Amino acid sequence: MDPRPSHEIDLMRRIGAGEGEALAEIFDLHSPLVLGLLFRILGRRSEAEEILQEVFLQVWTQAGRYDPDRASPRGWILMLARSRALDRIRRRDSSRRREEEVAGDPLLAAVHPVGTARLEAVERKSRVHSALDGLTPEQRRCIELAFFEGLTHSQIAERLQAPLGTVKSRILLGMNKLRQALSS
Amino acid sequence: MAAHEHTARFDELLPAYALGALDGDELRELEAHIATGCAECQRQIALWQGDLEELATAVEPIAPSAATRERVLRAAEGPPQIGRIRPIRPIGPMRSPRWLAIAATLLLAVALWGIYQQARLSGEAGRLRAERDGLARQVAGLERRLDQTQADNRRLAKTLSLITAPGAHAIQLAGLGPAQGAVGHAFINPKTGEAVIYAFDLPAPAAGTTYELWWIAAGRPPVPAGTFGVDEHGAARVEVDRVADAAEPKTWAVTIEPAGGRPQPSGPIILKG
Repeated sequence: MDPRPSHEIDLMRRIGAGEGEALAEIFDLHSPLVLGLLFRILGRRSEAEEILQEVFLQVWTQAGRYDPDRASPRGWILMLARSRALDRIRRRDSSRRREEEVAGDPLLAAVHPVGTARLEAVERKSRVHSALDGLTPEQRRCIELAFFEGLTHSQIAERLQAPLGTVKSRILLGMNKLRQALSS
Repeated sequence: MAAHEHTARFDELLPAYALGALDGDELRELEAHIATGCAECQRQIALWQGDLEELATAVEPIAPSAATRERVLRAAEGPPQIGRIRPIRPIGPMRSPRWLAIAATLLLAVALWGIYQQARLSGEAGRLRAERDGLARQVAGLERRLDQTQADNRRLAKTLSLITAPGAHAIQLAGLGPAQGAVGHAFINPKTGEAVIYAFDLPAPAAGTTYELWWIAAGRPPVPAGTFGVDEHGAARVEVDRVADAAEPKTWAVTIEPAGGRPQPSGPIILKG
């Protein structure tokens, strides 16, 4: 069993109690994935780093609100990040998105899990990729537009010049297929 | 149909709702239903959010700059600044005539009693609703964790059966160039041709690039065996359905290629064995 969730839940408790070392540890554990998600949504490295900073400051001030029954610490932080990034792109001109290229920064030293925990992390990522590969390109595109760009049914239909009903059924079928693949 | 009754129609709206894609009348209809405190909706939303969390982990991790890390940790040097409750300003002494003050006090007492009773009952109902929703979320969270654990176990069992198959052999891969220090293991079942490759301590590929796996038989061109990224810990796992002439010795290599991969290697080799 992966020992990390309970350790991370403990980290969240310590952050809530004001322990800066716990924040540093959770930052080192999850900031590369969170920054990857922010960059995927925002398309700009500098903006992604700015929101990354805001997200972890929010973790610092609101760790007391974290509920382990609702999400893992990683899931909670990723959803905070997604929500902030989507708010940002809604506020700016969408036509100016994705102008900048990522500059290759040196990697920070990562905190590696060991043994089966590491193997399970690799298995999980591979499972998500297989699940996405199981969608039709149209289903995947609709889900990605909703998830990474925050578009609604009507906005996706407009963007893709597709009938609204088609977009709705692509999302419904795609999400059900994802669920099935992720749990199979 | 009563707004509080959970129907199959809501089951169809919930995935798009969790994704944030629902809009217009459908969004209003579902939100009105959720506001009735539907426990089934709470359960399903938690499950869908679990799936979306997994979707978020499919992105390529990017190492943040040292400056961002420093700014976050410096800002955290003070105690967390949780929203403070503003103190209530005390009410000053009444300057009205005495009879008016008595009447106002009586009216206030009656009004406060009514408010107290209403608050007590709605507080109790709210507490019970919150308790029920909390239990529904707990069940959903446990179901999701069970599904994930079962899926991970099935994949681990598959890998284990490949590694322990009669005649299965393993090849060690070593990091080169920018991936010096990375390691890899390729496990091949010579009977079925199935293979699984694990790589560890690889740097995240730069934007617009991906890692591509190849197997190479002596005297033949490299055969592409799939593109992959790495997780936040620099690890990856690639399954290969079938390697031709699996019993024959092969070289395995990983190169850096443009996103989407190439039919023939064009970038530098960063892992080989």
